[in-house]
Amino acid sequence: MRHPILSTALRSEMDVVYVRQRARSIAERLGFDQQDQTRIATAVSEIARNAYAYGGGGKAEFFLETDARPQEIAVRISDTGPGIRQLETILEGRYKSRTGMGLGIIGAKRLMDQVSIETAPGKGAVVDLRKARPERAAPIQPSALSSIAASVARESESDPMGALREQNRELLNSLSELKERNEELNTLSRELEDTNRGVVALYSELDEKAEQLRQASELKTRFLSNMSHEFRTPLNSILAISRMLLDRLDGDLSAEQEKQVGYIRQSAEHLTELVNDLLDLAKVEAGKLDVKVTPFTVTELFGGLRGAMKPLQTADAVSLTFEEEAGLPALRTDEGKVAQILRNFISNALKFTEAGEVKVSAGWNRKSGEVVFAVSDTGIGIAPADQERIFDEFVQVENRLQARSKGTGLGLPLSRKLAELLKGAVSVTSEPGKGSTFVLRIPASYAPAAPGRGATGAAGLRRVLVVDDDEAFRYVVRQIISSEPGFEVAEAANGADALELIRSDPPDAIILDMQMPVMDGPSFLRALQGEADMASLPVIVSTSHVIDPDLRRKVGSARAVLSKETLSKEVLMSLLAGVTGPAA
Amino acid sequence: MDRIPILKMGDALLITIQVDMHDRLALALEEDLTAKIAATKAKGVLIDISSLEIVDSFIGRMLDNIAAVSRMLDADTVVVGMRPAVAITLVELGLSLTGVKTALNVERGMLMIQNRLRGLGDFSGRRS
Repeated sequence: MRHPILSTALRSEMDVVYVRQRARSIAERLGFDQQDQTRIATAVSEIARNAYAYGGGGKAEFFLETDARPQEIAVRISDTGPGIRQLETILEGRYKSRTGMGLGIIGAKRLMDQVSIETAPGKGAVVDLRKARPERAAPIQPSALSSIAASVARESESDPMGALREQNRELLNSLSELKERNEELNTLSRELEDTNRGVVALYSELDEKAEQLRQASELKTRFLSNMSHEFRTPLNSILAISRMLLDRLDGDLSAEQEKQVGYIRQSAEHLTELVNDLLDLAKVEAGKLDVKVTPFTVTELFGGLRGAMKPLQTADAVSLTFEEEAGLPALRTDEGKVAQILRNFISNALKFTEAGEVKVSAGWNRKSGEVVFAVSDTGIGIAPADQERIFDEFVQVENRLQARSKGTGLGLPLSRKLAELLKGAVSVTSEPGKGSTFVLRIPASYAPAAPGRGATGAAGLRRVLVVDDDEAFRYVVRQIISSEPGFEVAEAANGADALELIRSDPPDAIILDMQMPVMDGPSFLRALQGEADMASLPVIVSTSHVIDPDLRRKVGSARAVLSKETLSKEVLMSLLAGVTGPAA
Repeated sequence: MDRIPILKMGDALLITIQVDMHDRLALALEEDLTAKIAATKAKGVLIDISSLEIVDSFIGRMLDNIAAVSRMLDADTVVVGMRPAVAITLVELGLSLTGVKTALNVERGMLMIQNRLRGLGDFSGRRS
């Protein structure tokens, strides 16, 4: 029976040395004489070196074999390497080693009593060395082996140089490991720094982009607003002149000419519609669109819509029905805008429905105090991906009906903006091929966000009333004033209209023309003086007359007189600033 | 890595191996010694192995190599102080170290080297 004494790993060159030293120490303690100690240590050294050098490391185990008489020392050295090749050749002594003298196994056989080898390719090798203890030595009890092992272990510990060397080696190892880790950390930290810099740069880029976008959006709004105004004037001329022609004011038209002029008029009307939509959109975006609150009922609203939408109902296959829930409250909001939104919904529904029905219904959400209008159709529907896009400006979803029905791509975005203006919202649910339902919800009673002094005066704005019969002049003044922040403009074509306006909503300043029909400048001034709460309103007289003492006397109560010829932005604005005081 | 010190005594180099060498240390000694012989133009090398309790085939071969290389560099090698048990084991192992001159102790080894240096003929029987 084998009793283990101790075992040692074979992982480094130094381990080979330790193992042979331990072999000698154990042999000494097992009672072998000096010569045998050297023999055993040398044989173990040979085999252990093989296990380390060829087997890639393994372990060495020491045993006492107690069954044999006399007892034997047994050393088992195993590795996990590729196994011993050419074992036969080696055992026959014909093997030439490149490193040793080709003596390892054979030499060990000569030095020990018995050497057995178990090996298989790829499975490592196990070499078992045995040597009998001297005949005269007393048998060792297995219980004594642990103290032998302990004393052997102590011996190697008591070698201070060796221990120091070992510690040194470990220290060096951990030091180099630490160094490596440090380097890794440095690299990581550098990478992080780079990333950080990148992120910061990206952020500032984003900020810049956002600023650019904001500017672009503002520019677009200004452009739309300006362009739409510019478009309207020539369009009005075209409409007016084509109507003159159609009314035969300048002689008769041939049938063909009438048709042509009719087309001109139709196109101009279409264009006007587009321009109006654009203008509304620009106004909403610029926050300039006013909400005119009036009380009305859904029944009235639907009545108006029915009349307006009838002509659009081109196909007989599509029916247009209106339905309202019983017990709807009376609405207090901007009827025109609600109607405009619903008109948009209904005309869209009619456009994209070939057969079936378009149903307009109104319901009442008691909890939120909202009236819910729904326009559902049985048309071609909208793909889910497009359902949000259709509320973007100028977006028209590609479909086969699109070519037939022209649109501006502004209806839905405008509807959304208008609904928001009325503190409501629009939404859509749709299934391609089955139909769509557009929903508008608005508070039954419109509550302005920040009530100004008057119905239309927004908070903080100084209101300037321009009284002039010359539309061009009003336009010029309006352009000048509305380009300045903090001012808004009201207009009247004569003194009588102006007085009425002032009574309902007094302005902060008045720009007054002298020569006007119905009620001219001087009479207007006198009327103003006659009303106690209006007498103090600052008036700036603007005239194309020569400014002489006579004129000055006529307009004595006016704060300033300025010539229309020399009218400039600087002069007008400094006068206005002077008479209205600093911005509220 | 630690090294085995090599001392110069006149025209001879003296090496005392006092620790059980692992294989790489043995190889390093071989290299160091060769370089030292070339650098110092030493004529003799004395290796004291009296502290070694074990000389296995690898260290035996190392001693043999050192002797052979030294001879080529015109230096004679004497190994001294081998323990009897080591000597017996080496022979049993099949290593007779035929190329290595041996002496019982350092004194005798130095004498052998000095004799050669004085031109009193070398111990290999050759006449110089």
